[in-house]
Amino acid sequence: MREKSSVLVIGGGIAGIQASLDLADRGLEVYLVEKTPSIGGRMAQLDKTFPTMDCSICILAPKMIECFRHPNIKLLTYSEVEEVSGSAGNFTVKVLRNPRFVDESKCTGCGTCMQKCPIKVPNEFEMGLGMRRAIYLPFPQAVPRVATIDKDNCLYFQKGVCKICEKFCQANAVDFDKKPEELTINVSAIIIATGFNLFNPSIIGEYGYKQYKNVITSLELERLVNASGPTGGKLLRPSDGKEPNEIAFIQCVGSRSQRKKCFPYCSSVCCMYATKESIILKEHKPEVEVYIFYIELRVFGKGFQEFVTRAREEWDVEYIRGRPDEIIEDPKTRDLIVRYEDTLDRKVKELKVGLVVLCPALIPNDSNTKLEKILGAELDEHGFFKSKDPLFAPVDTNVPGIFICGYSQGPKDIPESVAQSSGAAARAAEVIALVASEEN
Amino acid sequence: MTFEPRIVGFLCNWCSYAGADLAGVSRISYPTNIRIIRLMCSGRVEPVIVLETLAQGADGVLVMGCHIGDCHYISGNLYAERKINVLKKLLARTSLEVGRLRLEWVSASEGGRFAELVKDFVEQIKALGPSPLAGDKPDKNILAGVLAAKAAAEDFRLRLLVGREKTMIDDGNVYGEKVSEEELDKILNEVIDTEFVRNRIYLLVKEKPLSVKELSERLDLDSKTVLRHVVVMRRRGLITVDRVEGTSPLYTALEVGR
Amino acid sequence: MESMEEETPRIGVFVCHCGINIGGVVNVPEVVEYAKKLPCVVYAEENLYTCSSEGISKIKEGIAKYNLNRVIVASCTPRTHEPLFRGACEEAGVNKYLFEMANIRDQCSWAHMHEPEGATEKAKDLVRMAVAKSRLLKPLEEPEIDVTPSALVIGGGISGMTAALCLSNQGFKVHIVEKEPELGGMLGHLYKLYPTMQDASESLNHVVNSVKSNKSIEVLTSTVVKQVKGFIGNFEVTVQKANDETANFEAGTIIVATGAPIFEPVGMYGYGEYDNVITQLRLEQLLKDGQLKKPESVVMIQCVGAREKEGRTYCSRICCMTAIKNALLIKDLHPDTDVYILFRELQTYGKHYEEHYRTAQDKGVKFVKYLQEKSPRVVSGKNGELTVNVYHALLNEELKIGSDLVVLSTPLIQHEDARELSQILKVPLGPDGFFFEVHVKLRPIDFATDGIYVCGTAHSPKDTPESVSQAFGVASRAAIPMALKRLRTEAITAVVHENLCSGCGTCVKLCPYGAIEKDEKGVARVTEVVCKGCGVCAATCPERAIEMRHFTSEQVMAQALAALGRTSA
Repeated sequence: MREKSSVLVIGGGIAGIQASLDLADRGLEVYLVEKTPSIGGRMAQLDKTFPTMDCSICILAPKMIECFRHPNIKLLTYSEVEEVSGSAGNFTVKVLRNPRFVDESKCTGCGTCMQKCPIKVPNEFEMGLGMRRAIYLPFPQAVPRVATIDKDNCLYFQKGVCKICEKFCQANAVDFDKKPEELTINVSAIIIATGFNLFNPSIIGEYGYKQYKNVITSLELERLVNASGPTGGKLLRPSDGKEPNEIAFIQCVGSRSQRKKCFPYCSSVCCMYATKESIILKEHKPEVEVYIFYIELRVFGKGFQEFVTRAREEWDVEYIRGRPDEIIEDPKTRDLIVRYEDTLDRKVKELKVGLVVLCPALIPNDSNTKLEKILGAELDEHGFFKSKDPLFAPVDTNVPGIFICGYSQGPKDIPESVAQSSGAAARAAEVIALVASEEN
Repeated sequence: MTFEPRIVGFLCNWCSYAGADLAGVSRISYPTNIRIIRLMCSGRVEPVIVLETLAQGADGVLVMGCHIGDCHYISGNLYAERKINVLKKLLARTSLEVGRLRLEWVSASEGGRFAELVKDFVEQIKALGPSPLAGDKPDKNILAGVLAAKAAAEDFRLRLLVGREKTMIDDGNVYGEKVSEEELDKILNEVIDTEFVRNRIYLLVKEKPLSVKELSERLDLDSKTVLRHVVVMRRRGLITVDRVEGTSPLYTALEVGR
Repeated sequence: MESMEEETPRIGVFVCHCGINIGGVVNVPEVVEYAKKLPCVVYAEENLYTCSSEGISKIKEGIAKYNLNRVIVASCTPRTHEPLFRGACEEAGVNKYLFEMANIRDQCSWAHMHEPEGATEKAKDLVRMAVAKSRLLKPLEEPEIDVTPSALVIGGGISGMTAALCLSNQGFKVHIVEKEPELGGMLGHLYKLYPTMQDASESLNHVVNSVKSNKSIEVLTSTVVKQVKGFIGNFEVTVQKANDETANFEAGTIIVATGAPIFEPVGMYGYGEYDNVITQLRLEQLLKDGQLKKPESVVMIQCVGAREKEGRTYCSRICCMTAIKNALLIKDLHPDTDVYILFRELQTYGKHYEEHYRTAQDKGVKFVKYLQEKSPRVVSGKNGELTVNVYHALLNEELKIGSDLVVLSTPLIQHEDARELSQILKVPLGPDGFFFEVHVKLRPIDFATDGIYVCGTAHSPKDTPESVSQAFGVASRAAIPMALKRLRTEAITAVVHENLCSGCGTCVKLCPYGAIEKDEKGVARVTEVVCKGCGVCAATCPERAIEMRHFTSEQVMAQALAALGRTSA
């Protein structure tokens, strides 16, 4: 018999964090595998959360650190699940630990290397709006606070010269010879919490994303209004670094759509986060005009309708019913003209704004396809993991002992993800209890 | 220089402190004058501490708790309300403005309300001007009054009454007789009057021996009332006759475990 | 409990920049220099993020290097970050109650963004106040308690039963208390369930049978919870049966899964007046019993008594999908019946709900958008035939729809007796009347009171998959203390100075938790594990014989004096 029963959690966003903490808090051992250098996931990128306007990283960071400090949680960041065999109660899992080229046990996260590194590349965490170095921490509250060398952009790896980071590292933590490591672990149950990706709005050609500088996505906006984001919390539009006076949000970009490469479902959170972002914009600059183009307002959660009412009545956010047909850029000012039919008065209208924020479909994580093959847990037609029984076994997959939670199971907001992740943890604990009773 | 009041806030952890946090999180600005002390519950607000804070020169004291019905500890804010009520009655008998003390309810979601209330209270205090007890030379007479109020707030009899107020209204006394709010208020006023005056007498004669005549002048009370209090206080062993000048006895305070 | 040895305080102060959140407004280096000069402060430094793993190791290094026995972090709010920093202190060998925080972000830099000087002065004052308290802090220990490994589940609907089964599979005993004579809750009244169109009673029977045949689940029907005493791990529950008989048992944790009934729209749209104006729930019953006579034209009206300007302002989440599902069921039975759904905003969110909406459109269900300010009107003709007049907001025209069945979609609402239960359990209800969780985002199924949890529609309207997900969720939350078997409880409790206590009994009466009683000597005694640390007793005690640990009068007074720039004697 094993000393302690273990659970593998795949994905270190809020769903994976909650599942891990629930299991670890009750004395079970957890391996938390995260593909990127830090846990935190999408929630770490958000400025605030609706409808309470809590500062996202402020409420998330303590949980991230709790994971890091928890004696029952083994954090495996920058790692991927490669192979799984066995069955419920006894899975053997091979985890690939990608080399950071920095020794996790030596690095203090002091950041000197990141100041000295000569290479600047767009920072993925900042949605490419801010820069990072080739040796980097994705964001200040990253957990673990260990630097990572991005091989593809490192001068030494690409041209064989530099090694400045190694020279300046007081802790001698840089190790260019680090090789990928393979770790084999034995677990009783597996929880999938891979979260979501963003739909690429370039597919909707008529909105001009990546073509017009002042058409951005909502997640880019989250970083632009965030105090520790690339603009220090000032909303400066990309074309000229000026504050726009009129901003339009467009809902359902790539979602609720039958178009090719688009997704038929509703992403569940966009109406609310657009409302939240509108209020944030108004807080930053009360005289700014904010418009939200929507088809149906999705206000179904606790306190949501009240939140929208407040945005409308107290903050003067204007909701316009209609899916814009196209966006045209004024080549001189780089302002944008949104052409749309207002479906409430059936008139075709135009609206000139300084910035357009697209709310793209939130889509299944692209790791899901690979995980489906490795785990045998089936995906649905969209690419989310399929519930064994959508009604009565929502967190079970077709494979006993493998559970799902959060956005990997389907669109949902943070509290739903958190509650469901606790649910997946309970199901995993059931497997362990069953194994224990059989062993006795 | 313009007058910038020093305000001490006593806030409960669950609602009003969270509301104050929310004001910050929401970047709602309010004047910098307030210094917040976090307590677990507004019911923890000890009248003696409030009076001492005022005696030490705070320009204002703002107590905040959860809205009635929302108390994390069920009924703590109800007790806070009773205590602030008594504190205001005590302050009304001193020459320090009652307006320097305020009780408000703020929920965890009312960042805006918190900021508004702070703004409003700062304005209220600015209108009153600096506390006569602030700075190096506090007004002696006013201070004497506040210290007497504080002594009254420390007194067993008044505290017992305040502590039992709620149960007397809700459950009645030992005989199961319920007391109405009005009756209780009347009793409370009498006890506060008595305790306040006796404590002023005590503090005055503690400084130097005084006669009933002198006391009645200092306290602006008729000598008959003063004499009545002096008789009770003598009987309780709080004061004693120091010496007799002419025909008037001069009283002095006894150091007692009050 | 307090340590007897008095050490000279050696305080370390860590001032956080919080990136630019604090440092962008407050002059952090100036605050650090100021802190260094305060009494008993032997070390002070600034951190970019004190809460980062780097910051945490800085605290630990500081404790070791400067032999600190008190730590102050000047950063954000103790409400979120105190546990983290306390943990760091503990790991470095400093009792966690010797930690103190100065909130210079939420209550300073963020609130005074445009007054950097004022904010800096305030930050200094807040640090000075923290130092004043820190000097007087005493180490505290958290009492340990045993946890009864059984749960009380209040409500025997699908949420309660799911939670009960999951807990029992994890090895815990469960009592389900259901006020109705049968298990099943709302699902017992439904016909088919979306999104799979499974038969509700078939699925429900399966679950009910699993519960009934489960040896570790005790089911008490026609029973209500009358009284709950005690605390996490040790709740003493009194229940009352329909015959007024009472029973008592112990529970380690409590799950509120009381569900939610629908709103009865009496007086709205002719409900209660015309027989053929019914609720969705009634329609469901008719479909289930096969009693629905073929209607010619069905009009469903959404948001009846929901999303109102005042009162029930909330969206009930499930009504749009329920209407679509029932419209599809009617269409399946009677393809040539006209079905209209009069909606305000259609809530077909999530993975597969849009598809149902599309199917309904394909099958000819007509969707009519109406505006709140132009609500539909139901009028009755001479022969009892109904007409629904509605302004179609998308076609900009007034429609007159003849109808022989009007179905009102009404919201789920809180039970009438929820207020009483909330008082018995001492947990709150929110402004919408539903049970109110401790943190909307990250603790959605926990109450502020330890050991009590909420799931399903008692928390807010939701459908079966969402209720079941939450039910599994509470089965994890409640399992944590029960799996641990022993728990550490509140250290911040009241303590009676026996020699000062006159035995007047004032505190015994006012303690909201019944944590104080008179002992054999006639003096007050606090049951520490029951005390929640509110401090009402300490503030009220006529003899001032009760002290609140960690918020002693001396400590609070020291903070107040420091706030005024005066020093305590």
